[in-house]
Order: sequence, then structure tokens, then C-alpha cells
Amino acid sequence: MSGDRGARVRIRRSRAIGVVMLVGICVAACGVPADGGRRGELRGWVIDTPVPKPDLTLTDTNGEAFDLRVETEGYLTLVFFGYTYCPDVCPVHMANLGAVFGDLIPEVRDRIKVVFVSTDPERDTPERLRSWLDNFNRSFVGLRGSLEDINAALSTILLPGVAVIPGEHDSEPLIGHPSAILAFGPDGTARVRYPFGVRQSDWAHDLPLLVEGF
Amino acid sequence: MQWWCFAQQEPWTWTWRPLLGVWVGLVLLVLAYRRLVRRASADPESRKTTRWRRAAFATGVFLLWASLDWPLGPLGASYFASVHMSQFLAVGLAAPALLLLALPPAAFDGLLTRPRTLAVLEEVTSPLSAFFIFNIVMTVTHWPGVVDSLMPTQLGSFMLDLAWFGGGLIFWWPVIAPVPRRPAFPPLGKIAYLALNAFLIRPPFAMMVFSQHPIYSIYELAPPPGGDALGDQQFAGAIMKIGSAWILFVGVVVVFKQWVRSERDAEARGA
Repeated sequence: MSGDRGARVRIRRSRAIGVVMLVGICVAACGVPADGGRRGELRGWVIDTPVPKPDLTLTDTNGEAFDLRVETEGYLTLVFFGYTYCPDVCPVHMANLGAVFGDLIPEVRDRIKVVFVSTDPERDTPERLRSWLDNFNRSFVGLRGSLEDINAALSTILLPGVAVIPGEHDSEPLIGHPSAILAFGPDGTARVRYPFGVRQSDWAHDLPLLVEGF
Repeated sequence: MQWWCFAQQEPWTWTWRPLLGVWVGLVLLVLAYRRLVRRASADPESRKTTRWRRAAFATGVFLLWASLDWPLGPLGASYFASVHMSQFLAVGLAAPALLLLALPPAAFDGLLTRPRTLAVLEEVTSPLSAFFIFNIVMTVTHWPGVVDSLMPTQLGSFMLDLAWFGGGLIFWWPVIAPVPRRPAFPPLGKIAYLALNAFLIRPPFAMMVFSQHPIYSIYELAPPPGGDALGDQQFAGAIMKIGSAWILFVGVVVVFKQWVRSERDAEARGA
């Protein structure tokens, strides 16, 4: 008799635990806002001292001169200094940006220019640069120029210069470069940067705000 | 020497890197199985089916090894959510079922002499508890915050694998293990239990398939060969749903066949 009661108590307890667990799963599944709860804030890193767009004229993948200030005037301009042989940061950054860029509504997308400046102009031929960028988005601009000009531009926007690290055992050299993407607003000033680790959901959240000159 | 796979933000290389912990764990598992089988060999019922039980054990061990050791281990830990999900199917669903099936009935007899262990097993492996424990383990171990926090360390990654394996054992226990006896869980109940789990839509599956952006930072920020993180994640969701449904469907078929056979045997005995 007491055994039966014990069994019934155990069953009731199991059921109660089960119901609590099920409710827990549902609450956990539904309770997290899609934007991580930071609606209205930029997810990039705000720059303490905003920097103006550098005065930089390089060559695009068609072989034509590209004046950064003139060609991107009035656009939200995302500038990244990297190289196509980069094993990690560059392809990941560009892939995430490219994935979001393709999904933006045209009203936002048409007001953004993405500019990739090669920090390895010797190996990044125009053809290679174009084909590499096309993997992410065909509208992304690829620029090449002398490392002197590029380092001068980097110093004006307070980013570290390019460093060539010789490869070990006859392997290809690695190029040290800034890992952040700078976002220059339509007014030509960068107030936010996006370090490596920024995610697609962050881009999707921030780009419409940045276009409006957040 | 690395002992368990974990998420590393390094480009993939094809250099062979055996994972010591996986090998040690599997050797211990084989030794434990041999000991249990030797003890149970006095029982004629257990001896009858030795060959297919050994095959089930070998398949289970192979699945564990293939999914946890190099290359699938590191690929699933660092680069592809779809590989990670295939590992889950092997470690959390298929291998536990095969390893439980591999045990001879007499191997469970030892539990009958341990009232405390038996009482715990009765609670934990009752169909209702097992259902909730398995689904909670599955949901928690696929939750983005949990995966992104635990996978970057060997211990965290090991804990996730252990939770999958333990959850799988608990899930299959009421269907396969003869101890504790559950007269109130007939074959039809077992079939319903497996079918319900096959059709259940769990939150991680919904997040993986319907999310607009990648939910796991590990795979989103993975260096090459990681690529289209969202496509890979959706594929992982499909593997989770379709793969687990297939494994559970096989379970339903086996239970049904055993049920039919036992009914025939009962009829033959009656005649």
C-alpha cells in the first residue's frame, strides 16, 4: 500500500519536473530578442576621436584611378585594409559583410560603398583581387597602390601600418594589417569601427542606422 | 599532444592530429565491455546472441571514434555546424543505442542487487523523465551561448560530448535495457515514445533553420574552409531533424519486429 503511494508520489513528482522543464525550454526559446537586446545602439566600437576619410588615390581593379574622397562622397563607406592571401581575418570579415550586404533592402544597399584596400599589392594582382572580391559581392571595390601611400593613409586614420612577416620554411609571407573595418559616414567622418569578431547580425543591425548618419 | 577537439580559430590543415582523450576513453570502454561480457557469459541466454551484440558494440565504438577523433572532431568543433550535428547524431543517438544493445541481458543483472542504483535508474530512466532529460540536454547543448562558451576549450567540448552521450544513454534506456522492469511500458508505448521524439520540433532546430543570420559565432567566424555560415547552419538543422528521425525510425522498426516475434513465440507456446 505504502509502496503504491510512493510510486504515485514519484510519478507526480516526475510529471511536475517535466512540466517545469518544458515551460523552461519554451521561455528560453522565446525570451531572447533577435537583436540581443541592444536595439537602438550601434554594435560597432565607437571611436573616441572621429577621423576624416583619408586623402587617398589608388588604382581600382579596372586599372583606373580611384579617389577615395571623391568616389565615395555622400555614401556610407566601409573601408578595410587586407589582402587576398590572408588565411583568416580578411575572408571571414568580407564573407560576413558580403552575406549581409546582399540581403539589405536596395534603399540602404545603394547608399553604401565597400572598399577593400590591398596591403599586399605585389601578390594581389587586379585580376586576383577582382575575382576574390566577387566571391563576396560584385559591387565591392578593390584598390591597389604603393605601400607608402597606404601606410600614410593608415597613419592619418590612426590605424597601425602594414607589416610584412616572412613565412617560415619557404611558406608565403604573412601581412600584418589592421583587422578592423572603418565606417565613414555620409559626412566623410568615421565614428565607428568594426573589429574582427563582428557578426552578420551586428552588420544587419548597424548598416541601416549608419546610412542614416547615426 | 591534444586530448580533445575544441574550437580553434586557425586555418585547417590536413596534418594528422590524434586526440589522446578519445583513444583513452575508447580503450576504457572496450575493457569495460570485455569485463561485462565475461561476467555474463555464464548465462546461456546471453551467450546465444553474442555475435550480433559484438557487432553492435564494434559499430558503436567505431561511430564514437570516427566522430570524435581527427578529422571529424576538429572539423565539427571549429569549422562546420553540419559536421558538429553529424557528430551529435553519432555520439548522442546512434552510439548509445548500439552500446546498450551490445550488452548481454545478464550484464544488467548486477543492478538488481543494488537497490539504491536501481531506485535512481527507476527515476531517471522512466520514459517521462528520460524524454525530458534528453530533450533538455539536446536543447541546452545546442544553445548558441552554451556552444560558443564551451567549444573553445577542451574541457568544455568534452563536457558537451559527454552530455550528448549521457543524454543518449538515458533516452534509449527505457526502450532497450531490461532493468528496471517496466511492465507499464509495452512495445506500443516504446514506439510512441520514439515516434514522438522523431516528430518533435526542438528550439535549436527552429533557430538553425529559420534564423536570418548564423547563430553560432564559432562557425560564423571560422577561418577557411568554413564558408557560407548560414547555409551550413541550415544544413546542420536539416541533418539534426532528418538524421535523428531516421535513427528513431530504425528504433521503431526494431521494437515493432521484436514485438511481433514475441507475440508469435507466445502464441507458439500457447499452442
